Amino acid sequence: MKRTKYKITLLFLLPELIFLAVFVLTPIIGTVVISFLTPGGAGLDNYYKVVTEKSPDKALVLPDNIAKARPPPWGAFIHNIVWVAIHLPIVVFLGMILAYLLHEVRGSSIVKSIFFLGMVIPMVVGGLLIRFMFDGTLGVVPVVLKTLGIKGLISKTWTNYPQTALISLILGSVWLWTGFSLTVYSAAYESLPKSYIEAAKIDGASGFQIFFKIVVPLLKHATIIVVIMTMLWDLKIFDIVYVSTLGGPGGSSNVMALVMYLYFARSLDYGRSSATAVILAIITLIPGVWFIRRVMKGAKTR
Amino acid sequence: MAKVRLENIVKRFGNVVAVNNINLEIRDKEFVVLLGPSGCGKTTTLRIIAGLEYPDEGRVYIDDRDVTDLEPKDRDIAMVFQNYALYPHMTVFDNIAFPLMIKRKKLGLTKEDIRKKVYEIAKLLKIEDLLKRKPGQLSGGQQQRVALARALIRRPKVWLMDEPLSNLDALLRLEMRAELKRLQKRLGITTVYVTHDQAEALSMADRIAVMNKGRIVQVGTPEEIYLKPKHVFVGTFIGSPPMNIVKCVVMVENNKYYLDCPGFRREIPKTLTKIVRENMKIILGIRPEFVEVSKKPLPDSIKAKILVVEPQGSEAILNLDINPEGEETLIKVKTRVTERFSSGEIIYLKPDWTRIAIFDYETGKALE
Repeated sequence: MKRTKYKITLLFLLPELIFLAVFVLTPIIGTVVISFLTPGGAGLDNYYKVVTEKSPDKALVLPDNIAKARPPPWGAFIHNIVWVAIHLPIVVFLGMILAYLLHEVRGSSIVKSIFFLGMVIPMVVGGLLIRFMFDGTLGVVPVVLKTLGIKGLISKTWTNYPQTALISLILGSVWLWTGFSLTVYSAAYESLPKSYIEAAKIDGASGFQIFFKIVVPLLKHATIIVVIMTMLWDLKIFDIVYVSTLGGPGGSSNVMALVMYLYFARSLDYGRSSATAVILAIITLIPGVWFIRRVMKGAKTR
Repeated sequence: MAKVRLENIVKRFGNVVAVNNINLEIRDKEFVVLLGPSGCGKTTTLRIIAGLEYPDEGRVYIDDRDVTDLEPKDRDIAMVFQNYALYPHMTVFDNIAFPLMIKRKKLGLTKEDIRKKVYEIAKLLKIEDLLKRKPGQLSGGQQQRVALARALIRRPKVWLMDEPLSNLDALLRLEMRAELKRLQKRLGITTVYVTHDQAEALSMADRIAVMNKGRIVQVGTPEEIYLKPKHVFVGTFIGSPPMNIVKCVVMVENNKYYLDCPGFRREIPKTLTKIVRENMKIILGIRPEFVEVSKKPLPDSIKAKILVVEPQGSEAILNLDINPEGEETLIKVKTRVTERFSSGEIIYLKPDWTRIAIFDYETGKALE
């Protein structure tokens, strides 16, 4: 009886397993295998070359900088890290504070929808929009800075200069990704019993105290989700960079996924492309595994 | 030392009038219960006192100070919520200390002062050994005590409680009732307590305000509420089983006023003859426990047929039809179990006419 049940289960699972094997497992194994292959045989040569590469448009860390005094480019890997370091805190904080502030505001769903637009539009379009936003003559950011009276970069197209290309992409991606954070936090905030906040109000807490002592700790689970998903998104970022700057100028806004693509499509160097892919995969696996463990632990204790 | 006064409070939610022109004065150190069915506006009234809701009309006074426009934190009140609202990320100690910690600088307290106060209040509520735990590790009764401790630590002027016992099991609820009342009397804190449980209200309150459809129907001591309901709603809401309702008509014969009720007739007491008119419809309210039951006919008694007997241990509730010959008229009677009654039997009832309530059929108000 039990055996036949097992067989039937296997029968139903089989199409899925075949699908996974052909379209997921094979490419992964293939990539790993190719990353070790060089014209001279097998070895770590590709990895060595990829990591020590010094040309600004493909380097992962610290390329030869033409103008040593004013980086970037710092290398694609460093750019990814900078991306996480700037993008992650802004997105987490904005999502949390907006969810808290918009909660009791009438018509807040309209505001939330506008934020969520960033999530809905294709990232390729998003990348183009970022270019327009920071454009010297058309862009909204220079106009805003001009009205605020901030001089200097105001009439320049940010994406055209190595000093500002990376930061403009990072700030643009804040707009594209805050909708996600806001949505997760809003849902989490909505599910909190109102009485926690009311109790704190009666106990004498100010708005600030309620936010930092009650709301932030209670939104911990949402924060874990937002932090991990944002980190993964930042590490895998490709499309908006490809569309708006193609890693330029001079590699100053390069990211790892783009380096992988450039090896693949420009240099036709599949070995190094695969090696970059494997390195990127291992880096993204670190937060990924931590997250899955966390979720599994949560599922068990519940 | 704190009085609370509500003046002409009105609160609407959209088209619904949740609280409709409420006036209530709560004296210093008094334990007042707002009692009513769900949706009667009792919780909204409490939340207006707390400052969590803003009334559309009317003013709230605490100690003769108009607090209507003040934030909850500036009213010097504390509240115990139905779900306790203990902060799950803090230990019991931190939960109890929270109201003091956030105002530490303003109150000029050191951490040691706060620790002492927390231990003092924890001792009072017998939760000293729970202080290091998180609320999630506590039983319902323990959480309840922590919530009470948190509400007491500041020694607030007014203590507000929103159905604090409704999440406890029946036995614990009985125990906490007495304990809460003892605590309130000992500390002398003016308390407003919301419940839909009439037994809780009768056993704990100094005064009860019975609410229905956004209005206060009657305010009085538990005895007044129980024995002299001013409105048919109060009679039928309070008591278990509640007051029996019999619809009767006033008749005049030979210059004497009679009540013509299903199954019996009765002369109207002299005091009421000036109020009633001929053919006026009235409601007779008979408490189930104020009826004498006999197997033999008594003079001036009402004949009734037993439909169902509900034994309750030392007592039994008889479901009776007092009009066996005509249209079925049901009443419930509580009796001590001295005799065996069985369904179908014919018995005779003698209500205690001094304790009968008479209400106007149209307005529901008591006729006095």
